[in-house]
Amino acid sequence: MKRLTGLFSLAALTGLAGMAQAADDLTLQLKWVTQAQFAGYYVALDKGFYEEEDLNVTIKPGGPDIAPTQVIAGGGADVTVEWMPAALSAREKGLPLVNIAQPFKSSGMMLTCLKETGVTGPDDFPGRTLGVWFFGNEFPFLSWMSQLGIPTDGGAEGVTVLKQGFNVDPLLQKQADCISTMTYNEYWQVIDAGISADDLVTFKYEDQGVATLEDGLYVLEDKLSDPAEVDKLTRFVRASMKGWKWAEENPEEAAMIVLDNDATGAQTEEHQIRMMTEVAKLTAGSNGALDPEDYERTVQSLLSGGSDPVISAHPGDGAWTHAISDAALN
Amino acid sequence: MGWLAFGLVAWALGWWINSRLSHRPRTRATGLLVPVTFGVTVVVIWECLVRGLSISPVLLPAPTAIAATFAKSIHILWADFVQTALKGALTGYIMGCGAAFLTAIAIDRFPFLQRGLLPVGNFVAALPIIGMAPILVMWFGFDWQSKAAVVVVMVFFPMLVNTVQGLSDTDAMQRDLMRTYAAGYWQMLLKLRLPAAMPFIFNGLKIATTLALIGAIVAEFFGSPIKGMGFRISTSVGQLALDLVWAEIVVAAIAGSGFYGAVALLEKAVTFWHPSQRSRA
Repeated sequence: MKRLTGLFSLAALTGLAGMAQAADDLTLQLKWVTQAQFAGYYVALDKGFYEEEDLNVTIKPGGPDIAPTQVIAGGGADVTVEWMPAALSAREKGLPLVNIAQPFKSSGMMLTCLKETGVTGPDDFPGRTLGVWFFGNEFPFLSWMSQLGIPTDGGAEGVTVLKQGFNVDPLLQKQADCISTMTYNEYWQVIDAGISADDLVTFKYEDQGVATLEDGLYVLEDKLSDPAEVDKLTRFVRASMKGWKWAEENPEEAAMIVLDNDATGAQTEEHQIRMMTEVAKLTAGSNGALDPEDYERTVQSLLSGGSDPVISAHPGDGAWTHAISDAALN
Repeated sequence: MGWLAFGLVAWALGWWINSRLSHRPRTRATGLLVPVTFGVTVVVIWECLVRGLSISPVLLPAPTAIAATFAKSIHILWADFVQTALKGALTGYIMGCGAAFLTAIAIDRFPFLQRGLLPVGNFVAALPIIGMAPILVMWFGFDWQSKAAVVVVMVFFPMLVNTVQGLSDTDAMQRDLMRTYAAGYWQMLLKLRLPAAMPFIFNGLKIATTLALIGAIVAEFFGSPIKGMGFRISTSVGQLALDLVWAEIVVAAIAGSGFYGAVALLEKAVTFWHPSQRSRA
């Protein structure tokens, strides 16, 4: 009995001590695997920016078969990094996601083709096989094809779509004429595989006028009506943007921080430093607040998708908020 | 609240009906009504729970929503069915079971093959499909051929083992009788041992039907053109179109049950003499 009471009081004391120091827990779901695309968050974690804001952040990496919207719908995360088309589509399907910050100003999405296939422009697409990622990444592509009026179910008049995985094999093995690539990732995987840049034809979504907003931070709407949650998210955004600006100025150290946090060991130093340099070009120009004009442009691009638009109605202003970013950055 | 109450009432009613039915003498009608009542009760309770508890359609859609999507997307579902069940699963099934059957006959003819091939078959069967599927997709391309290859690997060993077992399932008296009729190896095989092996062969075929469909669907997770049941299920989950996922699951259930039922009917016709097929006296 005496031992029991001793044990209980010890437990109570440590519990109390723990409570006094407890920072707020927050889980972030990333859109893809651990890589420099998310350097800002890893920098904020490693450099103690989250700790300074009294936050205990858990970062969950994503992957080819993980849809961030699904994770947040199931309660697996508080905040998720997602692309705007997928988030707006989820919102239409009944999942009330709201954009609270937009670190990425420009789009890095491209379609890369082998020159030997003879594709020189979008007019050459009909009758070709194009590789596309799914799980939320297919929306910019579907929107572009819809605007060009090209059906995506195969045939001579349309394109045959191939579900791309984690790698660029469909292009290397000539199973697809063109594949989806990011300026900071898959494009360099193709170059690393031995294909020279002269043998490739690349279409940037920004140049084609079909770019949509990419990595943004999204939460479920009900979080925004809870003042404690709003405060937590404000601190999170503040620390994350501090991490992003640090990463932009120190790309090599940021890449090393990302590598330290990569549990898979699959990433290489050269690839990550290159990725960080490219990603810095996309985050430049954004302080974290969503520019309503960029939002409008993305929505219009998604709505103009002919017979098969990604979203069927304008989501309105409920899909984004400046409440968090204003408080965080001012 | 009303929906939850209605759900409870439906549950009680279904239970009571089934309870009364199962106490009656077993006829064809009651044999059919009991599972149908059970199924209908489950669906009604599902609907009431989703509506009563306001479950998000992104997590669990209501059966009425699933039925609506099923009706709306019938052409997509049909194209997926053709791609996965007919082109992928069925061709792989025919190739795999055919190859296994011929291998079993070869094993039976040449005993040294039994000692060599069976352990190899055992090893191949133990390879996880999740590991094999991407490799086969790399070898055979994204289309249905790689799915058929996965199915062949999955159904080969169960069918082989069952057929080998069946071929050895004749007793000495039967074989001696054939020998007294001066039957050669092939005559004995065709007239005695293969018919006697049919219950085992059909056992293998029935197991293979379920494995074939599973193999074809799972293989599509690793690379496919944009049609196919596995593709549709995995990408619709990503697009949060859960009602389409469930509609696809319904198609898979119907396809799997239909396939199994067809083989079972064929078994009934071929092995009519076996005790398991004869009705109670």
